[in-house]
Amino acid sequence: MSQPILGSLSQSLRVAIAARGAERTAALRGLLESLGHVAAMDDEPADVVLADAERPRDEDRATVVLGGTDTGAQGLLPATASPAEIDAALRAVARGLIVRSAPRRTPGFRAATDSEPRTLLTPREAQVLDAIADGLTNKAIARRLGISLHTVKFHVESVFRKLDASTRTEAVARAGERRRQETIDL
Amino acid sequence: MAHESNLLSALSDSLGTRFVTAKQSVASVKVSATAYLGAILWRNELLVTSEQSLPGRDAFEAILPDGSCMRGRLAGRDAATNVAVIRLDRSVSAPTLSAAPPRIGSLVIAAGSDGEGRPSARLGLVNAVGPEWHSMRGGRIEARIQLDIRLAASEEGGPAFDAAGDWLGMTTFGPRGQILAIPAATVERIAPVLSASGRVPRGWLGVALRPVAVPDELREAAGEVSGLMVMSLTPEGPAAKAGIVAGDIILSLDGISARRPRGVLAHLGGDSIGKPVSLRLIRGGGIIIIEVAVSERPPA
Repeated sequence: MSQPILGSLSQSLRVAIAARGAERTAALRGLLESLGHVAAMDDEPADVVLADAERPRDEDRATVVLGGTDTGAQGLLPATASPAEIDAALRAVARGLIVRSAPRRTPGFRAATDSEPRTLLTPREAQVLDAIADGLTNKAIARRLGISLHTVKFHVESVFRKLDASTRTEAVARAGERRRQETIDL
Repeated sequence: MAHESNLLSALSDSLGTRFVTAKQSVASVKVSATAYLGAILWRNELLVTSEQSLPGRDAFEAILPDGSCMRGRLAGRDAATNVAVIRLDRSVSAPTLSAAPPRIGSLVIAAGSDGEGRPSARLGLVNAVGPEWHSMRGGRIEARIQLDIRLAASEEGGPAFDAAGDWLGMTTFGPRGQILAIPAATVERIAPVLSASGRVPRGWLGVALRPVAVPDELREAAGEVSGLMVMSLTPEGPAAKAGIVAGDIILSLDGISARRPRGVLAHLGGDSIGKPVSLRLIRGGGIIIIEVAVSERPPA
């Protein structure tokens, strides 16, 4: 990949629309424009094709299909996909990746397990983690919780250790997963 | 060559014959326009299936072992044991299932729905058998049966049999891709209650809890290193009425340590309904005791 990933995240794409009827085409054009992309005219070159329900026959460019069951398409999203999901799929497919929406994953039928105290967060650490999840810096966390920056750093370190995380993003992800597994309804 | 008798073809023939019998107990429940879920034809007019994968509605369409399509209604569901029962509109002839306990290492034949309403087969081993356990939702399961088989989404909820053709239980997706079987004994205990009254009564406090570490400075007074913090309360639920608030950390319930959610869940079975339980908890740096009158868990 020649360009850094962050550069490509804001890049505007030229997208060809393949939809039946003027109304649907206009709707997709509006969506693309709201996402900051450019709708390519029929004979213009395009980075990626956005198709409604089915891929045009003989379409050999990378295509994101909305709805339908065309498993041969590079991108396949449900008809109910959100604009953000469509945006992400267009960018990924334009980059040569294949996109599918993840199947709904049930956590599975599981046992109630005894807590492992060494890896449990204290209420204060949970507050610090919530603040991290909100994107706050250590300084902002100190202000929100009314504690010193030194104490915040101490808590953040402890949260990382207990969640076996090395970045803030990782800590938030791990905690989310744990929360789903550990919440008990009594 | 094709008809030469050998061990492999004998095994294959036996499996095929077993499956002919097994599929007489397999139904498919339509869960969406394109998806099916496996089910067990448990009694002449009753299907048993996997509660966690059954959509939350009342009317269902099922495909029976003979390929016919029949409507049915939800008779009851119990998330705590993952058992749901659907009552068919008409009675059909269900084969008798003879239940047997599982043996580690023995063969398992699992039957489910192939995704288009026809039966499908899986072969594997009983991977592990453990003692009675309690689910996250508080249900008692007679044994922990782990199967070494693969299972498609449409195959969950079907029956698992041993090599003798005896019924071991209902296939269920467990955590991290594990395939479990809800033991036949659990189904036989829960399904009659569901078909008779629509639900399995369980004690309820109306709180969502999360395990937390007890802050260092309170450990000595609490006598516990961890507790269950109240994340949210059901408005007007038993705990809310008793004055429990979000942020309280429950240390024990009638003397049962909150470190052992299993014990707490087991304590809140059907016979706890209407009785008071005593909660020892941390609030605002101190330790208090609050009594809560257990009520019956409302249907989900």
